[in-house]
Amino acid sequence: MKKENILLLAAVLVLPLVLRPAIASEIWIFAIFGLGLNLLLGYTGLLSFGQATFFGSAAYVAGWLLKHYGISVFLALGTGVFVGAASAALVGYLCVQRSGLYFIMLTFALNQLFYFVAYQWTSVTGGEDGMPGIPRPAFLGIDFNDPFAYYVFVSALFIVSLWIMRRIVESPLGKILQAIRENEVRAEAVGYDVARFKLAAFVIGGAFSGAAGVLYAMLFGIVPLEAIGFVTSGNVVFATLIGGSGSLYGPIIGSFVFIWLSESVSTLWARWPLLLGVAFVIVVLFLRGGVVEAWSRFWSWRSSKPKT
Amino acid sequence: MAILETKNLSKAFGALAAVDDVSLGIEAGTLHSIIGPNGAGKTTLFNLLTGTYLPSAGRILFDGRDITGTPAHRVAHLGLARSFQRTNVFPAFSLLDNAWVAAFACGPSWEGLLWRRADRYPEVKARALAALADVGLADKAGKPVREISHGEQRQLELAIALAAAPRVLLLDEPAAGLSPEETRKLVALVRALKGRYTIVLIEHKMDIIMSVSDRISVMHFGSLIAEGTPAEIQKNPEVRRAYLGGVAA
Repeated sequence: MKKENILLLAAVLVLPLVLRPAIASEIWIFAIFGLGLNLLLGYTGLLSFGQATFFGSAAYVAGWLLKHYGISVFLALGTGVFVGAASAALVGYLCVQRSGLYFIMLTFALNQLFYFVAYQWTSVTGGEDGMPGIPRPAFLGIDFNDPFAYYVFVSALFIVSLWIMRRIVESPLGKILQAIRENEVRAEAVGYDVARFKLAAFVIGGAFSGAAGVLYAMLFGIVPLEAIGFVTSGNVVFATLIGGSGSLYGPIIGSFVFIWLSESVSTLWARWPLLLGVAFVIVVLFLRGGVVEAWSRFWSWRSSKPKT
Repeated sequence: MAILETKNLSKAFGALAAVDDVSLGIEAGTLHSIIGPNGAGKTTLFNLLTGTYLPSAGRILFDGRDITGTPAHRVAHLGLARSFQRTNVFPAFSLLDNAWVAAFACGPSWEGLLWRRADRYPEVKARALAALADVGLADKAGKPVREISHGEQRQLELAIALAAAPRVLLLDEPAAGLSPEETRKLVALVRALKGRYTIVLIEHKMDIIMSVSDRISVMHFGSLIAEGTPAEIQKNPEVRRAYLGGVAA
């Protein structure tokens, strides 16, 4: 087994022992969300500032079905994946028509559109109060209301998500998306319909966001309005950049840093986002590859040092 | 028979007629050069042929089929590959990956697009390596683009076009910005490709044109002003006027 996988497996096992299981679960949920974004950001070179659209839509739809129709956890998950992918297809179709700044602003604007629909449609979403009372139905006699059981469920799904994402980025599709990131004009000239490939990246990213959204709703038992707000979109971009968008593992590390900081430091110091801001500035100015790059630089520095 | 033909092809940008009523026939198996002063419309003509621009008027026929208005990514699949005047590669990729992406695009099938590992396509890899070998870069296949010289990047530019296994190669100033030594190498390369592909070549350097071309078309202010064998073109007074600005001749 590769070194990264052993480390990850160790993290999955150790995390619930050192952190509250709810926080540990949130880390892996946010990591799934980040994996989806990074297919766009890191691999295709598209900065989507509207990932909460898919995260929130999936959380609301699956949350509603869980609450009122008592669907099973796996059906809820499937619904979330579908809603995430479908909303991403819609948003993506509009956004891939433009590039650069216009693209980013479109993802943001459409996110705001979805946000205000959720804000106004109080009979379904609860508006500012959120959609509370989302259950975690038992499956095959396993009671997911036990935080540890739910943690096992979430971390298993995270491992499956990572495996799927790895298959995707190592497939021809992954290489084509990277070719589009590197040189859109040439990618088109050698025979790829760039807009369609970008849309495919959107849909896959949306499916991951949707899965994360449903798990999040079940974790907290509520879909807060912020789940579909631009702050959530920003947070996942933040976390991914801090972890390192150039690597498959970047968003996972970023999620760990982000959630851990927000949960542990925020109780001590209300102005904790300041820390995040500083970290972000450092990454943008000096460490474009995020924590992953810092790590590899550290190792190459250590191995280049003569042994005394 | 002409494999690639344009009929009264025109492209206007506002009031500027970049390509003006050009009717051109490229015979299969030949090396056909297009020459002309800067701004004569040669690259615009390429952009029309490859579907990058939509023509304002006229038609493009490939193998007798009307392909006017076919988008760029579809044109590549028809067997029309181009190289660019300014090096236009995938900078973060290895040379092999550069060629691989082009080879995969025009491969027989996209089966396993989402699931199969990209390194499990032996036939695509073989085609990419063959393209690199054709331009003399086989031994550098694993290197990243940033580690090769400008001249080698021009060779890679060509390899990407070759990896698509095209029927017609459109080469836009393959020797742009090369030293005399590198130019000689590239000319030898183009000559080696002659006969294997139908080649349309845009070039400025007259000595190259005259030595490799079967036929030459001359463009001036968007129009075709002459066509013929290298010997005929050399003697053509109108061509001399276009090149020397009407002073001499």
